Amino acid sequence: MIKFRGVNKWFGALHVLKDITLNVEPREVVVVCGPSGSGKSTLIRCINGLETIKNGDLVVDGQRLGDRATNMTELRTEVGFVFQSFNLYPHKTALENVILAPIHVRKIPKAEAEIAGREMLAKVGLADKFNSYPAELSGGQQQRVAIARCLCMRPKIMLFDEPTSALDPEMISEVLDVMVGVAEEGMTMMVVTHEMGFARKVARRVVFMDAGAIVETGPPEEFFSNPKTDRSRAFLSKILRH
Amino acid sequence: MLENFSFRTITEYLPLFGYGFAATLWLSIVSFAGALAVGITLCAMNLQRSQALKVPAKIYIDVIRATPLLAQLYFLYFGLPRLGVVLPELFIGILALSLNSGAYVAEIIRAGILSISRGQVEAGIASGMTYFQRMRLVVLPQAFRVTIPPLLGQAIVLVKDSALLSLISVSELTRAGQLLASDRFMPAEGFITTAACYLALYYGLKTLAASSERWLRLRPTGNLK
Repeated sequence: MIKFRGVNKWFGALHVLKDITLNVEPREVVVVCGPSGSGKSTLIRCINGLETIKNGDLVVDGQRLGDRATNMTELRTEVGFVFQSFNLYPHKTALENVILAPIHVRKIPKAEAEIAGREMLAKVGLADKFNSYPAELSGGQQQRVAIARCLCMRPKIMLFDEPTSALDPEMISEVLDVMVGVAEEGMTMMVVTHEMGFARKVARRVVFMDAGAIVETGPPEEFFSNPKTDRSRAFLSKILRH
Repeated sequence: MLENFSFRTITEYLPLFGYGFAATLWLSIVSFAGALAVGITLCAMNLQRSQALKVPAKIYIDVIRATPLLAQLYFLYFGLPRLGVVLPELFIGILALSLNSGAYVAEIIRAGILSISRGQVEAGIASGMTYFQRMRLVVLPQAFRVTIPPLLGQAIVLVKDSALLSLISVSELTRAGQLLASDRFMPAEGFITTAACYLALYYGLKTLAASSERWLRLRPTGNLK
């Protein structure tokens, strides 16, 4: 579903992605973790073209990024992206937020999109918030709207860029619960997060990155209980100590 | 002092001031519409990546903002005929105000658009919107709210700037004051009446600005989180 082969990227002189090779199978859930500045966000932002790669191959849903034949706007309709800072449209209600792209990008009739949008918002537990504006919602509620907004596009892949790190602690679980639900329905997911409970519950693999390179990958149980490299051990000891 | 002040003469000249008031009002409205058109075009050019569009817009904005409106007006009024272009003075007046105010409007709109966070644009990109969809559905509706108060401020400036058109003998408010001053040698009466009329226009626009801000405040904006 997502194939990185020898992918490199620089920000000026900074080598942010170093020879990344990674395969994500359909219906697989992969958690990406690592210290800040290790390139995790950049890695998933490349998948929907929010960042471009310098060299190597990146194939998403059978289409090679950077090819002339690849229509990025079309590809993006198949790839949902959830941001750390939600990025809901502040001038639109929750329902308008989730139906905007289905109507204008997917060209679904408005009435139909509204039915699907209400259903999706109800599914993430916001049946009473259709007409609320983002500013009237809590962080956790906003992030759930953002997830519903992606799901309404019926994507094949969902990418999450630290979806809970801007949230107050008591709101993290409501968002993770929704994400677990999405994973259990068989969505292909790449999630940048340090939420180990989430990784243990649904991830097939954990990818640990440091300084732009993938240092270690493995099943979550194994990675968390028995990390193989010094760097991953050091990282885990830091986030587990508290 | 006031015994020399002739309210009677002012009353006599009221129809002239009424005419001037109407003229200033409508030529300001037309000029501001022109300024919006010029400003939106310049701003759109300025935001493109292509230097061929960006550079001319930047130069235009700099030239307009660096030179006095009076010089621009005189160039159009005295300069253009020498170059073989003869236009009616009213048209020249409106053209000068539109071209001048357009440069400021362009910068106001650009500031509004740039105030929209990168995350909003990325949310649009990530959901598969094209550049124009993002602009139309995400960026401009938000930028619009930020832009209205400074645009109304620019409209107030434009109304006052329109007084310069009296210098190329367009019949408007200041010209009415000049006529009263020179016909009857009553500059005090003439220009006080002119000033009072501008004040009325100013308060009209100010009320509009205040009610627009109230209207915008009632609707949710992105500033809250």
